[in-house]
Amino acid sequence: MTFQGLTRLFVAIAALAWGAAVHAAPVVKTEHVEAQLVAEAVTAQPGKPVLVGLKLRMAEHWHTYWKNPGDSGLPTKIEWVLPEGWKAGEIQWPYPRPLPIGPLMNYGYEDEVVLLSQLTPPAGASGAQTLRAKAEWLVCKDICIPEKGELDLTLEVGPAEPKPDPRNVGSIERAKGMLPVAAPGWKSESSLSAKQLVVRLTPPPGTSPPKQVSFFPEREQLIEPAAPQKVTREGDSLRIEMKLVEPPPTNVTRVAGVAVAEAGWPGIGRKAIAIEAPVSTQPIAAAGSTSAARPASAQIDGSVLAALGFAFLGGILLNLMPCVFPVLGIKVMGFVEHAHGDARAMRLQGVIFAAGVVLSFLLLAGIMLALRAAGGQLGWGFQLQSPLVVTLLAGLFFLLALNLSGVFEWGIFAQSLTSNLSAKGRYADALLAGVLATVVATPCTAPFMGAAVGFTLTQGAGLALLVFATLGAGMALPVLLLALFPALLRRLPRPGAWMETFKQVLAFPLYATVAWLVWVIGAQAGNDAVLALLGGLVFIAMGAWMYGRWDHSPGLWRPTVAVLFAIAGLAIAWPAPQGSAAAGGASARAGELAWQEWSPEKVSQLTGGGQAVFVDFTAAWCVTCQVNKRVALHDAEVMQAFAAKGVVPLRADWTRQDPRITATLAALGRNAIPVYALYTPGSPDPQLLPEVLTPSIVIAELSRLPAAKPAATTLTQRPGGNE
Amino acid sequence: MKRSLIALSSLACGMAFASAPVGKPAPAFNVTDLAGKPVNLADYKGKTVVLEWNNFGCPFVQKHYKSGNMQALQKKYGKEVVWLAVNSTTRESSDYADPMTLDKQLRDFRAEPARYLMDEPGQMGMAYGAKVTPHMYIIDPSGKVVYNGAIDDKRSTNPEDVKTSKNYVAAALDELKAGKPVTTASTTPYGCTIKYK
Repeated sequence: MTFQGLTRLFVAIAALAWGAAVHAAPVVKTEHVEAQLVAEAVTAQPGKPVLVGLKLRMAEHWHTYWKNPGDSGLPTKIEWVLPEGWKAGEIQWPYPRPLPIGPLMNYGYEDEVVLLSQLTPPAGASGAQTLRAKAEWLVCKDICIPEKGELDLTLEVGPAEPKPDPRNVGSIERAKGMLPVAAPGWKSESSLSAKQLVVRLTPPPGTSPPKQVSFFPEREQLIEPAAPQKVTREGDSLRIEMKLVEPPPTNVTRVAGVAVAEAGWPGIGRKAIAIEAPVSTQPIAAAGSTSAARPASAQIDGSVLAALGFAFLGGILLNLMPCVFPVLGIKVMGFVEHAHGDARAMRLQGVIFAAGVVLSFLLLAGIMLALRAAGGQLGWGFQLQSPLVVTLLAGLFFLLALNLSGVFEWGIFAQSLTSNLSAKGRYADALLAGVLATVVATPCTAPFMGAAVGFTLTQGAGLALLVFATLGAGMALPVLLLALFPALLRRLPRPGAWMETFKQVLAFPLYATVAWLVWVIGAQAGNDAVLALLGGLVFIAMGAWMYGRWDHSPGLWRPTVAVLFAIAGLAIAWPAPQGSAAAGGASARAGELAWQEWSPEKVSQLTGGGQAVFVDFTAAWCVTCQVNKRVALHDAEVMQAFAAKGVVPLRADWTRQDPRITATLAALGRNAIPVYALYTPGSPDPQLLPEVLTPSIVIAELSRLPAAKPAATTLTQRPGGNE
Repeated sequence: MKRSLIALSSLACGMAFASAPVGKPAPAFNVTDLAGKPVNLADYKGKTVVLEWNNFGCPFVQKHYKSGNMQALQKKYGKEVVWLAVNSTTRESSDYADPMTLDKQLRDFRAEPARYLMDEPGQMGMAYGAKVTPHMYIIDPSGKVVYNGAIDDKRSTNPEDVKTSKNYVAAALDELKAGKPVTTASTTPYGCTIKYK
């Protein structure tokens, strides 16, 4: 007998001699399970953690479940009832085994499992301490039985160095050996496409990965547990492809789980390693694919700083949008008028304006996050998916435009945008201008913003708000600079008659914005809605005219009548609830590509049939989308390239809410449009094109495809045949 | 046409497990009720249909019948919607119950589904991707799946939990009735694995 063996024997004898404190914990027997608490040692030291396990021995062919039970089942639960001051850690789950049942799959344990928890006595503990656990487990074979047991275990707490409990060494060591461990030096990445989760594991240099690996995700409803996992070798890396549940999960920012190699992980000496892989917005390329050559102009590699940088830049660009510029122009003119006045007051105004912008962005982002948290499938630009919001914006822009044209002045009802009343009024005016600028900016998603906002939404709410605040800061910057450095203003012409002309000129971009919003309403809610909106605008115009025409008449009749007209106008323009337009946008017109209506099935159907597919994620309210369509997609050479390569153009129209589109965008790592995706047969992950297209970008991307097969071009699919 | 192709291919492979995700048309089915009368999804065109996968031997199902929860839902919504209980347990399983036994169990529990469907070969369950009992689906009058998942948010076999749980099916049916979209439309179903052939 070795020395160690002798000590073990001694410990066992000593343990017996101690009597009550070291009785083996009682075994609770249920119909299909024998349960017992087991501790790694017979004694514990105050303040030092001790491992205690719930040992479940299942009857033959019966099983209990892992923390993610798979298609059905229930994880085992332990509720500790401990003496005062003790702390209990989470269950440390040994790696599970796959338990197929017909076409379904569970993750769990057969024969025996020990679920370990770390229990820590308080610093002042001493003497015999009884640890109790209320455990509940579901044990299944063909049928399932929920069972439970109240278990206890007594440990002696004292200063002595704890000795392993010989009765439990075997069970505890086996369980510890089955705990997934971190794999130092190994790199894990993952990506989501519409249908697939890919996890790639790259070993440290000089190590070669095991051949066969199974992945068990912690999150339920992520992959189909029963679908076979495809494991391939890719250079030194291991690539595991798994089928996602349908509809694909949203808000997946990291993939955590356990990777099990029955042959063991080289260099680690265990069968199970813990995986925690960030989800990249770019698909992990399959071996031999060409996605490395993708144009990089507007991609974000997921780093926070880059997202903030793009958000800031995007914010600055927003100032140049046709819907924002007039509002800012007026603000700047206000500064011009006061440029020679109180510099301090003006600086304060600039700061208040900036605060107004940032706060409004935060408010909008907060609303969006709250709606998303409540389960809404929304992306940035969501505001314009509601016909009501579009109508209200059209009314607001029209009123602003009439004001700039000189039809009326605001007067006492609201502070003029160029008001020169009291100082207090000017501050309120600055705040209002900030809010207004944000409201009118939302339709104009500048380039860069799509990627920044999309990235944002995959991160936590805190970071999302930070990105939106940065966006607002970028937008407020030019005006803020002018306010802080009035010297810049002196370079502008002195106030004079030119300002009135400039103001009236600024009305026209606003009229143009109204025209565009009317077109959006048409796409959303049909021709009747256009008439209603235009009719409403006529009434608003009459109200505004009366308000301006009898500018000097005293009494309340003037504002009252004006407000009545405005209300009448709104009532006429108010969109009918759930205005039902025909599912639009899928018909071919002369001089355009023969767009077909998009659906996820259609994409897989077409690529499955060997055809390349180009998907335009677009909406009527997305200005960049419209520009791209005119400039790039309907360019004659581009259309030729489409035909030559037999690429089927599909249009996914997000003008109104569509959860399938939101989900697909999320799987692509985006949350705002435009997004252009090129699917090629045999590769599940599409190529993403930049947000700002030029004909040459599209042609370059298409030219990588092989020429069309003759048969493939004669496609006569009817969109949405069975819906 | 496309649908019958899918059905055909699933027959050919035997174990093809499909799914009925929210937003997609509900798969057609053609099964019989306890009396042996044929039941088709097409029979209920224009109506809201609730599908409840059932197996009285399962403790998760018992949770909702012993607490009276399922019967209360069937009674409350039974006037406005068509409530169909479905049993896909294979004859080879020890959990299989024949129509006579099921009829008695239904009466003992005072359960009131409009029909109780026998899906013994399991084709309907596989077409829907029904995984557990109780797995719940709601189909709207246009034939689209608008809810797919668990009955509530307390995954347990304890009837006491019914009192404090959020019932997803009731919430969805109330929203549908009010003409609103279903807020929580997909959840992880919980329960006993359905024993397919």
